[in-house]
Amino acid sequence: MTRINTVLGPIAPEEAGFVAIHEHIGYGMPGSELDTQWWKTPEQRYEETVPKLRRFHENARPYGAATFVDATGICNGRDVSYYQSLSEKTGVHIVASTGFVGGDTALPFFARASVDYLYRQFVHEITVGIGNTGGKAGIIKVGVSRGFKMKELDLRIYRAAARAALETGVPIFTHLAVDAEPAIAIFGEEGLPLDRVLFGHADDGVSQGKVRDRWIAEQGGRIGFDTFGYDLELPDPPFWGRPRQERLEHFLGYLRDGLVDSVLASADANCSPLGWPGVKGHTVNYLFDTLLPALRENGVDDATIHRIFVELPAGFLSIQPGAAPQN
Amino acid sequence: MTATTVNTVLGPVPAEDLGVVAVHEALLSVLPGAQYAYDIEMDRAAIFRAIAEKLDAFKAAGGGTVVDVGGMYAGRDVPLYEALSRATGVHIVASTGQMEEGMLGGYFLTPQTNPPTPWPAEKFAALYAAEVTEGMVVPRVERRGAAGVVSTAVTAESMTPTDESQLRGCARAAKQTGVALTFRAGSDPVAELEVALDEGLAADRVAVAGAGERAAELADTGAFVVFTDVVTAVAFAREGHAHRTLVATGGAAIAFGHDVASASYADLARAVPAELAPQLLAANPAALLAVKEA
Repeated sequence: MTRINTVLGPIAPEEAGFVAIHEHIGYGMPGSELDTQWWKTPEQRYEETVPKLRRFHENARPYGAATFVDATGICNGRDVSYYQSLSEKTGVHIVASTGFVGGDTALPFFARASVDYLYRQFVHEITVGIGNTGGKAGIIKVGVSRGFKMKELDLRIYRAAARAALETGVPIFTHLAVDAEPAIAIFGEEGLPLDRVLFGHADDGVSQGKVRDRWIAEQGGRIGFDTFGYDLELPDPPFWGRPRQERLEHFLGYLRDGLVDSVLASADANCSPLGWPGVKGHTVNYLFDTLLPALRENGVDDATIHRIFVELPAGFLSIQPGAAPQN
Repeated sequence: MTATTVNTVLGPVPAEDLGVVAVHEALLSVLPGAQYAYDIEMDRAAIFRAIAEKLDAFKAAGGGTVVDVGGMYAGRDVPLYEALSRATGVHIVASTGQMEEGMLGGYFLTPQTNPPTPWPAEKFAALYAAEVTEGMVVPRVERRGAAGVVSTAVTAESMTPTDESQLRGCARAAKQTGVALTFRAGSDPVAELEVALDEGLAADRVAVAGAGERAAELADTGAFVVFTDVVTAVAFAREGHAHRTLVATGGAAIAFGHDVASASYADLARAVPAELAPQLLAANPAALLAVKEA
């Protein structure tokens, strides 16, 4: 039976509707919880988050439903019981992650762990649940530590993730698509088809000139255009920002070249950031407010939009144990 | 109102009321990240009971105060410590600070800036001083109680640049707030102490654990030396260093995610010879823990 793990239990992929494939309810580096400068009251957190999710739900109505994939790693403020309450009250399906945003976000207990232990941690969170919430992870997050080069711990996490993905059937998301050669080598050694991997942030400003996204796509990997909205035109853009038109052209190039099935798109926005100021005004609803109109202006038809935001993510998030290559 | 008080989790206590002190301990020790491990069950009631039994035994053996030097990110649980102190009558002093570089979260090492420069001393100083002046954090919930000591560690192999930033930050926080600094030494305890003193902290406001062969040099500068072996501590005290000698169990009341010896505070209270106990277990800890006027 095909299913997608959400924090409130499995759903049929046909129920997912419009999917924002890489988002965050709230992200913070491990340790940021110690610094009161970032603290917000629970009232404030719900106030900042609920209206965004309700608007996302409204925006997605023509597609049937709204699914929000939270790509926050184990030590980055992931809070599954909070996600459960948000999902229950807003009607947005929320998919949570197991895994780590990068080795540099894995706390010492996990930094010291073996591939086998990390694999068991991931499998447990996907098949049994996260902590005592009962919520199961629907994706595995991995990533490249700061510095654009895979470190030993990053590689250990990638290998554990590949094994857990093969066994459980959930897909892998990478934070950053740079230095992809060792990642692809590991997935090959472990026998994981690359269409089960979304190489994320291939579109961000700091990765340009370092990311071989067309090469990754040729190998069968999926390319994440998932930082839409982090535009350098913003009043105070983050360091990974990029000129808006340049990112859009990058994306449209895939569509013109018939590579629509290689891409997934999202905004990587924080509803209520946990350990950084966030980017004012940037929300998951950028997808509806700015991206979809821009795509339509550039001649992208509704069938293609449906493919990118409904069909492809539903297939990608569907649990496929012992994943065979997809068509 | 006495001029010299100690910050305990239940508020300031006159230094002379501490009694017999286990001065360099870990009550609840959690290797950062272990709280998320799929196979580690942390039963709060069981944790409370395990620690309470050790505190009760300590009290029965004449003990008065336990100092938790795990810092703010290795299991410290302020509400739990408050309840334990109320239930057992043992004073508990909790610490701010964090351990060596390898124990820090990414927030301090690879912050979301370009480039990801590790935290400088002044940021550590502000974070830790606020735990004394404004209260210790219960992450993302509240501040409660004042930290009674600043605690850190240096990487065993050798002091990293981030260890040095943190040690300087801890020394500044100690100097600014009047609480003492304690640190677990790395490969060069004397040079590391000099880093702390370079921040203007007086040597008698510092305790150093893991000093090994360099203990006498540290004591000669005026710093306290923490031993986790009573025989060695007693020998050191009898060599003329009694005023600079501290002794601890070297273990934790309860630990998760890493192997730490099980501490017995009662055994510690009984192990120090009667003629040295008032100095090593009471007078020296009281001198260290008494908050100095800034």
